[in-house]
Amino acid sequence: MIDAEKLEILTESAKYDVSCSSSGSKRVNRAGGLGNASVSGICHSFTPDGRCISLLKILMSNDCIYDCEYCPNRRSAEVRRATITPTEICELVIGFYKRNYIEGLFLSSAVFGTPDRTMELLIKTVEMLRHEYRFNGYIHLKGIPHADDLLIMKAARLVDRMSFNVELPSEKSLKLLAPQKTKQSLLLPMKSLQNAMLYDKENKVRRRDAVIPAGQTTQLIVGASPETDGQILKLTEALYRNMGLRRVYYSSYIPVVQSSLLPTVGAGLLREHRLYQADWLIRFYGFDVNEILDESENLSMEYDPKCAWALRNMHLFPIEVNTAPLATLLRVPGIGAKSAYRIIEARKYGKIDFENLAKMRVVLKRARHFITCKGKFYGTENSQQVKNCLLLEGKNEVNEQLSMFSEKSVALSALTGEV
Amino acid sequence: MKFFICDDTPESFFTAVFYAYSESDCFITSDKEIQLSLGSEIVQVHSDTEKCERVRRGLYRYDNGAENDILKALRSCNNRKEQICFMYIKRLLEFKKSVRNAFNLSEVVELNNILYQITEETHRFTGFLRFKENANGTLYAPYSPDNDITGLLMPHFAARLNAPFVIHDVKRKIAGLYNGSTWIITCVGDAEICPSDSERAFESLWKKYYKAVNIKERPHEKQMKSSMPVRYWKFLPEKND
Ligand code: SF4
Repeated sequence: MIDAEKLEILTESAKYDVSCSSSGSKRVNRAGGLGNASVSGICHSFTPDGRCISLLKILMSNDCIYDCEYCPNRRSAEVRRATITPTEICELVIGFYKRNYIEGLFLSSAVFGTPDRTMELLIKTVEMLRHEYRFNGYIHLKGIPHADDLLIMKAARLVDRMSFNVELPSEKSLKLLAPQKTKQSLLLPMKSLQNAMLYDKENKVRRRDAVIPAGQTTQLIVGASPETDGQILKLTEALYRNMGLRRVYYSSYIPVVQSSLLPTVGAGLLREHRLYQADWLIRFYGFDVNEILDESENLSMEYDPKCAWALRNMHLFPIEVNTAPLATLLRVPGIGAKSAYRIIEARKYGKIDFENLAKMRVVLKRARHFITCKGKFYGTENSQQVKNCLLLEGKNEVNEQLSMFSEKSVALSALTGEV
Repeated sequence: MKFFICDDTPESFFTAVFYAYSESDCFITSDKEIQLSLGSEIVQVHSDTEKCERVRRGLYRYDNGAENDILKALRSCNNRKEQICFMYIKRLLEFKKSVRNAFNLSEVVELNNILYQITEETHRFTGFLRFKENANGTLYAPYSPDNDITGLLMPHFAARLNAPFVIHDVKRKIAGLYNGSTWIITCVGDAEICPSDSERAFESLWKKYYKAVNIKERPHEKQMKSSMPVRYWKFLPEKND
């Protein structure tokens, strides 16, 4: 069985990867096998930093040959090193899974030996899990940059999700801070994975033989390099569009290593929070990146991005909740996807009045300034006053964020970014 | 006001609905500690298969999912659960079509709220339940949920585990038993467990993992507690160090 100290070292090395989601896969158990995947994802515990534990997040090794500036495991760092075997990982996963501690495995590794050698050992591990231990639970595998394409494809047939972390939002920053990784070493495997997924879909490959049913994700570090929110969000949009990613995670920079190339203070958690909100608007609310940026190509820190957009576009409001189409309802501050859907459904049974809206979980404090109900307006006409109201209300949110920031905690409620 | 007192079986509830439907001012409950006001009349309901069937057929006629919703809502710990279900049924029979999305009706909102709590708690326990392995390979998970959700959790774990297991609701003194192919719910008292050799080792590795994966520099206890309420901690090894 795995040594407790090794487990500690390899967990601490893996914990800064934000993603822990176990969603998106419907893998079913087979006779005599252990485990399946739940499409909506399941959280098994929460740590005192407020984050969810869903997967056993661990590195196979932290003994890296690369020297990425921001990484605590980089070659030149003086840290405890450890490497574990595929068997040790498998036993741990099975032992934890059947006690319902975890939903599956998020396996990653520093590059030890060569990229191909590392990738091969990762594959060996997931192969053992799937075939010897007959494990059908969730597996997220992080790809090793510069590993052979054939190896990547082999891995993709065994796991539910893969990710190559872009980490730095521009090629320039990548060159500066992660000199051994190249843009191509990250983007090419993403592209091959996307092509393989498209191929499986077109050829109706059986689900259990298909590559990464839960798709790919990536992570961007925010605040370690000088890019604006606009640059980050445009990259995000391109990754969703051109690479078909399921999810882009943002990780606000934490100064865990000393370096003259890196800022000495962490990035604001509020900024990370705003990026998640903006990401959400782009994916689910039909917003375009340019609509939600201010003149300086950044997101407003005072207002959430939907409020900020609405305040810049007061001429489009108020709208009538009893007649407005879904796309318009979704653009009202204080009306989320669920409440918009409820409004559309409830309209079939009769007119909606102002009192009904609160029960549909509409945030009236915000929404009232942008809607009419049966033709009646309940908000403030004067747009300066509206701004003040929303600012006051937003302050609470900001205060909360900032107080968390001052006690250096992270806002992972922000992970979804729903506004 | 007339009070219809049923027991906590669905048959008894549906029978009560049959009687209460024609009353103008009444209340259905299985709560034995209910506060009665002066002048209230009490009717003790005895399950009647035929009356119960008639109510069920009535529901089915207008919305074939309504019975399932009601059966689920009756698992709630809300002491007004029978009345909430009854009010919902009245609305359904009044509209003579599904009212599941009529969120402008307060009865619909109320039923939805308790259904939401049950779904939410069930989902949480698909994650928060903790099994201990016994020497004979059986897995045993004690817990104490707010709502009566054992029957809702069983299919989830039966589909993924390859060993016999027991889910024990210690407050209600009932347990779901799975023998490797089928499951049942039954009444139980105390359970005796004799942990397997590796049980202690895995539990301590898990505690180690829980500590190591936390980012100490960024405490956010409030977030942790709102996502994982303290009342659930009793059965989580990582919270009992
Ligand atoms: S490749 Fe870079 S980021 Fe990854 S472990 Fe090595 S040094 Fe760290």
